[in-house]
Amino acid sequence: MSSTKRKMTRGELILQILIFSLGFFYAFVYYVNVSQPIDLQAASDQLFAYLTAMLTAAFAIGIINLTRVHVNNIKRKRPAWRYSIILIVCLYGMAIISMISSPFAIDPTGAVIPANLIDAVTPIWEFLYYKILVSINSSIFSLLAFFIASAAYRAFKARTFESTILLVAGLLVVLGQAPIMDLVWPGFSAIRAWILSFPNIAGQRGILIGAALGILAFSVRRLIRYPWGR
Amino acid sequence: MNMSGLRSDPRLIYLLLGLVITVPILTHSVLPVPVTQTTQALYDFIQKLPANSLVVLSFDYSTSVVPELHPQAIVVTQQLFTLPLKILFVAQWTDGPALADAVLEAVDKGNKTYGVDYATLGYIPNSATLLGMTADLHQFFPVDTHGNPTDTLPIIKEFPAAKQAALVITFAAGEPGLSQYLQYWQARFNIPVAVGATASSAPGYLPFYNSGQIVGILISIRGAAEYEILIHRMGISGATSAMVAQSAAHLLIVAMVVFGNVVYFVGRDRKKEGAK
Repeated sequence: MSSTKRKMTRGELILQILIFSLGFFYAFVYYVNVSQPIDLQAASDQLFAYLTAMLTAAFAIGIINLTRVHVNNIKRKRPAWRYSIILIVCLYGMAIISMISSPFAIDPTGAVIPANLIDAVTPIWEFLYYKILVSINSSIFSLLAFFIASAAYRAFKARTFESTILLVAGLLVVLGQAPIMDLVWPGFSAIRAWILSFPNIAGQRGILIGAALGILAFSVRRLIRYPWGR
Repeated sequence: MNMSGLRSDPRLIYLLLGLVITVPILTHSVLPVPVTQTTQALYDFIQKLPANSLVVLSFDYSTSVVPELHPQAIVVTQQLFTLPLKILFVAQWTDGPALADAVLEAVDKGNKTYGVDYATLGYIPNSATLLGMTADLHQFFPVDTHGNPTDTLPIIKEFPAAKQAALVITFAAGEPGLSQYLQYWQARFNIPVAVGATASSAPGYLPFYNSGQIVGILISIRGAAEYEILIHRMGISGATSAMVAQSAAHLLIVAMVVFGNVVYFVGRDRKKEGAK
């Protein structure tokens, strides 16, 4: 890594001042309540609301980028280009069907999209969403259970003292989470609750506080000097 | 049986897991489910809300976690519809509005009227909107998901700002989800927050429950099954009937871990003996 520090250009300096001012402004408003002569809290909220427009623009850029990448895949017949056709058809097909079945966003007065078209398209949208998308996504997520079962057999071994503690704690939580074990011995639920409420919370708090301090330090560094050009 | 074969080819494990999940579901087996403290806390909090309080339900999950979080949303919504409360449905995830509609289809709405007692406002695109709606709902949601101008809805006239909410419940599969409500609603306006969580994310939320920042947590499909018992609507979300399958799958995983360790230690001892 080079130790030489590059001098900021004029543009970078202006951006750096802007970043620092806005960052400092938000931190200041969070901790200090100023309502006179201007309500800084309201000003901060109003400024924050402009973020909506910026994020919407970012969303549009994402769609344009995705389209460009996959249209180029199709044009140049890159490997697996047929999947790009499926992606483009699904992306725009579902978007068009969604807009027709919920027309108020693009046609609030109902002047453009005929009512019978809406009635015809809505069941198609409902079928595609509730019967296809929900089922596919739920199935893919459910496959995790099979991978976990296989991985548990292969990897969850009491090789060291620490891994034995992890193994025992994990098994007790899993047993306590299964309602059938309450019929065997109610103590499983109590042990699970204790593990989650004490060792787990202690560990989670440590992680949370550590992450928060890390984010704070990182943010201060960025506000003071952004690593331009790296 | 060749143990190393099972290690490299897990099809037997998959078959066993498939069986222990499908058989209880197909036979509609039911188990008694003890109610955990975090579930009971949410139920009690809602029951004690004053009449005509505003509750915001936030659908912050996608279609992939429907089996875990959708039953929770159904049982909580059902409880809210049996009480004299006002309910707003919002979503921080794009799938949320459609999933909220599915929940509304699944519950018994009793004598509640759309626009008066409840309304679906739709998608919250970012934290800026989440913060802004605390001051003015109409500004950030000019129309509801049915295209009605929100300033004509009696519920919005009664509650023009989300900071008037007595409770917000987020069914959260990740980010954005609980942390946004904690930062922008709970910390700033002291609005009580509850969460419906997946089993994997629930341990991370427990410190907030412990500190009193969250009034209750529903954990996974078991939380929904416990809630079905509390609201006396067994089977409304399908969670109770899934409990036997879940228990059987958990027991199988525990058995596989124990079996895997036995095989590991026996193999290790044999290796040591061979080396001698």
